[in-house]
Amino acid sequence: MRQSVFKRLAAPRMSLFEKYFVALFAAVVLPLLIAGGSEAWLSYRDRRAGLNSLLDTEARAAASKIQDFMEGIRDQLGWTVQLPWSEEPDDKRKLDAFFLLRQVPAVLSLTLVDRAGKERLFVSRIGLNRAESGEDYSASPAVQRAREERAWFGGVTFQRGSEPFMTIAVSGNRAAAGVAIAEVNLKFIWDVISAIKVGRTGAAFVLDRPGRLIAHPDISLVLRADDTATKPLQDLRAAILARPGEAVAGRDVTGSMVLAAMAPISGVSWSVVVKQPAAEAFGPIYAALWRTAGLLVAGAALAAALAYWLTQRMVRPIRVLEDGVARIGAGQFDHRIEIATGDEFERLAGRFNEMAGELALSQERSERIGRLKRFLAPQVAELIDRRGDEHMLDGRRVEAVVVFCDLRGFTAFSTRTEPETLIRLLGEYYDALERAATAHGGTLTNFTGDGAMVLVNAPVACPDPALSAAEMARAMQMSVQALLAGQRARAHHLGFGVGLAMGPATVGRIGSEGRLDYTAIGNVVNLAARLCSSAADGEILVDDNAARAIGSRLPLVALKARIFKGFDGPVSVFAIRLPTLKPDSASVGNAVG
Amino acid sequence: MRFVPSILIGAGSRASRRDFIMLVGGAVASTVPAYAQRPPMPVIGYLGSETPDRYASRLAAFRNGLAESGYFEGRNIEIEYRWAEGQYRRLPALAKELADRQVTVIVAPGGAEVALAAKAATSAIPIVFEMGGDPIAIGLVSSLSRPAGNLTGVSSLSVEVSRKRLEFMSEMFPGTKLFAFAVNPASPTAESQLKNLQAAATSLGLELLVLKASAEAEFDALFATAAQERTGGLVFSSDPYFAYRSPQLAALAARQRVAAIMQSRDFPLAGGLMSYGGDFEQSHRHTGIYAGRILKGERPADLPVQRVTKVEMCINLKAAKALGISFPPALLTSADFVIE
Repeated sequence: MRQSVFKRLAAPRMSLFEKYFVALFAAVVLPLLIAGGSEAWLSYRDRRAGLNSLLDTEARAAASKIQDFMEGIRDQLGWTVQLPWSEEPDDKRKLDAFFLLRQVPAVLSLTLVDRAGKERLFVSRIGLNRAESGEDYSASPAVQRAREERAWFGGVTFQRGSEPFMTIAVSGNRAAAGVAIAEVNLKFIWDVISAIKVGRTGAAFVLDRPGRLIAHPDISLVLRADDTATKPLQDLRAAILARPGEAVAGRDVTGSMVLAAMAPISGVSWSVVVKQPAAEAFGPIYAALWRTAGLLVAGAALAAALAYWLTQRMVRPIRVLEDGVARIGAGQFDHRIEIATGDEFERLAGRFNEMAGELALSQERSERIGRLKRFLAPQVAELIDRRGDEHMLDGRRVEAVVVFCDLRGFTAFSTRTEPETLIRLLGEYYDALERAATAHGGTLTNFTGDGAMVLVNAPVACPDPALSAAEMARAMQMSVQALLAGQRARAHHLGFGVGLAMGPATVGRIGSEGRLDYTAIGNVVNLAARLCSSAADGEILVDDNAARAIGSRLPLVALKARIFKGFDGPVSVFAIRLPTLKPDSASVGNAVG
Repeated sequence: MRFVPSILIGAGSRASRRDFIMLVGGAVASTVPAYAQRPPMPVIGYLGSETPDRYASRLAAFRNGLAESGYFEGRNIEIEYRWAEGQYRRLPALAKELADRQVTVIVAPGGAEVALAAKAATSAIPIVFEMGGDPIAIGLVSSLSRPAGNLTGVSSLSVEVSRKRLEFMSEMFPGTKLFAFAVNPASPTAESQLKNLQAAATSLGLELLVLKASAEAEFDALFATAAQERTGGLVFSSDPYFAYRSPQLAALAARQRVAAIMQSRDFPLAGGLMSYGGDFEQSHRHTGIYAGRILKGERPADLPVQRVTKVEMCINLKAAKALGISFPPALLTSADFVIE
């Protein structure tokens, strides 16, 4: 029953362990998450800004390399237009031209025109050389623009739909020096562009103003001269132009994500785009994020472990208490709650242990009394219960007053009376006896049929046992006579006699394992029994000892000495006079029930 | 199956490999699976018009190109070679063999004949060619930037610059009007080169003595005629057949005291007077790169035909001295290599 009560209590909605665990875990993890998250975000932003400037720098560097390449060709061409033309064929210039072709592999052919715009020399790697052909170039944009701007970079053309070429024209310091016009094969930029490395695997490419691919590390992409194939690169450039100063993520021709930045190449109005695979560019960021994530996970795990440990520490004594209380509640009073935390829990456990100890004591007592109650007369048992000391039942020798009493004519009465009535009458009779015994400190040791034996001064000591016993006897006589008076109308010849003797007796518990009695042994017991037998209805007979102890405090009448079986010689007998003696008391029979 | 002893192959059926492994068990198991589980190596069919010996430098360049693409013969690529050993008539049959062998890619370097033989053999297996001259003109591809079909490759400028060789000869011998021009009538580009040369001769005000040779036996006569007819010198058309026989031709030129110019730098290196033509090392290297890219899965149609832009001039001062002539400053200035 108690067990089940505890079980019902043991299913809370949320256990203390969970509450503490969640609270402690959150207390560590939340700040960790906030710190880690903001750290990751800040480092991402820094790194992104770093990437912008890094790629921007790379783009500028690449642009300047390509510009150097183009300007290198321009400067080399400048050497061929240093001196004014004479009318005569100029062999020196021819050598200069050959020398230029050898020095600058990108130049496919070179045309030199004089101040009038007439072709004076043409040298080529593939075609036949010409001298003094006199062809008129004065109207060609190359010559006109070169004269205006000193150097002119023409548009890109794709020879045979594949190879990118451009015309570069340079005019001399003086108009007389003429103009040098070179056909330049832009495939040679490949040497420059393929040498540009952005990061580990990044690369650069060049688009002209309309967006045609001029240089790319994969030369075949250039030679394909296919605007649809290179569309992603144009889109990339458009995206960069839309967000100036920022590295832009997009897709390259292979469809993979790249981060790209751009720089213009002045003079030719091309743009160099540098690109780095997004995975590589963001690699350090991802690595940092992973690191942060790893630390967060490790931190969370540590926090969980810590929270678990702390919670366990906090909850364990509570669990121990709960368990201990449950055991004690279930009747296990010898259980002791072991907590050595040195705090309130330990104190609480101590209190519980004390409580268990007291519970154990009281249970032990109630068990003992229960046992005694089973075997002893209830009055004796109650007495022990009240006193809480069993040792008073131990055997000893005392000056005891033994009181016997019984009903007269009871046997005859019982044979003609209904059992219910009989039992009820006996019940009332015993109640009366008990009340009287209890009121005067007597101990009702046993009932036998209609008789009873009461001890005074044992087991409970009494200061004046004789007087108490005499008064008790009087009280018994009066209450029983009153009881019998009601019955006499229909139940005739019922009487009640009491015998009382005082003397040394051995008192104590006697009996077997299954049956215990508290009783007195000694001559005085026999004497009291004889006196009782000898007493007439309504009479209280007292022996010499008791009478002497009572003295004059009660009205005593000395009767004629009587002979009792087992006693040598006549025994002096006294009778206690009752306040109102029944008129027919002397006529009542002396039969013992 | 190479590792399986032949006796066991003979005894077993097609399923013999597994049975064999089960039979032989642990003894071989530790070494066999490494081979057995690896996918078969891709195979390049290499079609050569000459002998491995004559191709040695070209092959080296080709392997360099392959290596640039990450392929190494014997390690992650196998190469099946077919050599015509100078008998160009055999090329179509050899090309067919490679096609039947179902190689992953056919490499056809060393001239238009080889490329055409490969093209005729298959229209499915990718082909990478290497040649001088215009691949459109001889019908190999329809466009340089988008070579539709299963072919792509590298062309050098050797054929285009045939006329420049005549020009250099004329620079060498300014007073001479007659020059000999050697063509190989068996070459697919012979016609166009001859036309090209005739036009150049006309514009330079020169005359051409056209000499034909398509076999080694005719080489003697070639030089003899050039010498007898008092030509200023002999200009070789761009033809791999001549180029591969540079040492032989250089020796004949020295013996007959004929000044000669060829496309390949092998010629002056072997004692000839000079050369002007495309850089074969570059063209063969690019062939290797392209073969590698195709092995990696690119389609030949997506790979534009590359023209090797570099044209180099090589002169041999010793040969000039032996002939009792000297190079004019224009040629000395232009020369990329000078052999002292």
